[in-house]
Amino acid sequence: MNRMSGHPLPSNGTHPIVVPPAPRRRFYGHGLPNVEPDKLAGRLIVIEGADGSGRTTQMARLVEWLEARGHATVQVGLSRSTLVSEELECAKNGNILSHTTLSLFYATDFADQIENSILPALRAGFMVLADRYIYTLMARDLVRGMDEVWLKNLYGIALVPDMVFYLNVSPAQLVQRNMAKNHALDYWESGMDLGLSRDMFDSFLQYQALIQKQFMRLQSVYGFIVIDGNHSVAEINRELKRNIEIALAGTK
Amino acid sequence: MKTFAELGFPGRLIAVEGLDGSGKSTQIHLLKRWLELQDLKVYFSEWNSSELVKSATTRGKTHELLTPTTFSLIHATDFADRYERHLVPLLRAGYVVLCDRYIFTAFARDVVRGCPPGWVRGLYNFAALPDLTFFFKAELEVSLNRILDGRPQLKFFEAGMDLRLSNDPYQSFRIFQGRLLEQYLAMAGEFKFAVIDANQPVEAQQTAVRERVAAGIDFTAFAPAGRAVEA
Repeated sequence: MNRMSGHPLPSNGTHPIVVPPAPRRRFYGHGLPNVEPDKLAGRLIVIEGADGSGRTTQMARLVEWLEARGHATVQVGLSRSTLVSEELECAKNGNILSHTTLSLFYATDFADQIENSILPALRAGFMVLADRYIYTLMARDLVRGMDEVWLKNLYGIALVPDMVFYLNVSPAQLVQRNMAKNHALDYWESGMDLGLSRDMFDSFLQYQALIQKQFMRLQSVYGFIVIDGNHSVAEINRELKRNIEIALAGTK
Repeated sequence: MKTFAELGFPGRLIAVEGLDGSGKSTQIHLLKRWLELQDLKVYFSEWNSSELVKSATTRGKTHELLTPTTFSLIHATDFADRYERHLVPLLRAGYVVLCDRYIFTAFARDVVRGCPPGWVRGLYNFAALPDLTFFFKAELEVSLNRILDGRPQLKFFEAGMDLRLSNDPYQSFRIFQGRLLEQYLAMAGEFKFAVIDANQPVEAQQTAVRERVAAGIDFTAFAPAGRAVEA
């Protein structure tokens, strides 16, 4: 099959492909050695939210939408690094590492991914969809009493994303969604290590409320776009797309 | 940052720092023997990391997966593990803890690798400062020769090969160690290192070490609990 040169691409029902302009890049803090931020084209779009907030569903829809528009897209997420993901999984199952250690272990995982997945993809001009970013890691640690100044320095290696969405779902609604999906609550998502309550159901509600509180506080610092996660999948998706279009059009 | 004494810990931490081949491990061993002979509560902290952290570090090293940032973070993780699981409980229990290398090794090594100094310092600011830090200062050539004379198999990161200083591991090691020494010397004043002239005979160095420890630490506080009750 050979397409004649100059033959127009079919445009029926599809959006014309637009090359996004180069964004202005910076890191939150000290940044990473040997990285030139100006070489990072592409876009970094982060979706934050608890388990059951609809992140996965929305990410899948966004990939479809972005690819239809001719943008190469890649998905990244926490605890998926080649370097430490295996050990992190064991640490979660055994609950044997203390707070600072676990916190640094997660940061190592994050750093490995930003250097080996996120930055190379951005350099190549990809749309990077991040299923959670440093904010979840910070919120979890803040709830566990870690020092905020220490955390900010630690995550000063993070690139400032082009857009961050927080899917905000009430703890009561999260319980229902987790039950519908797994018929069980996760130990860590229930914050059982904090000893808030011996009852997992109670602990989950209390813990998720604490996390939500931290997110709202972080929102005022980092300026997330808060999306009401109690809305329908289609409504949320429209809201996400509307905002992403702005990120794609502008330099910020 | 404060020392363990300033933070009200009953225990005391003594750290030794210096280049590979400076003789610091020999000196801390002799110090340990001396303290043990006086029947004090002493613990020598080796790098006995937990299996999990060790497994990730080993993978990163053998497969050369580490960048300056992840090298720094995985070692900070390892240090935090050792700090929270071993050092803090021992110091709470009133031990004299001897550490072969402490946070200053990371400060020197990570900065030579290109990590921002402020970031590295910040990573470790959960750790208290040692009550006494010895720095064994030897001529660079002396330290290098002690290590390199045996023509050891230098490991990739140990030789600083990731810095692409030279294709020859021995040459790379020399340049890398020289840069580490610069970093150590730059920190000596700020962190009040007790600098020991490591070009002296072993015995002369140990005399200086013991004098400094005796002047800085009140031994009566570190007698075992059982004996204190008998007396």
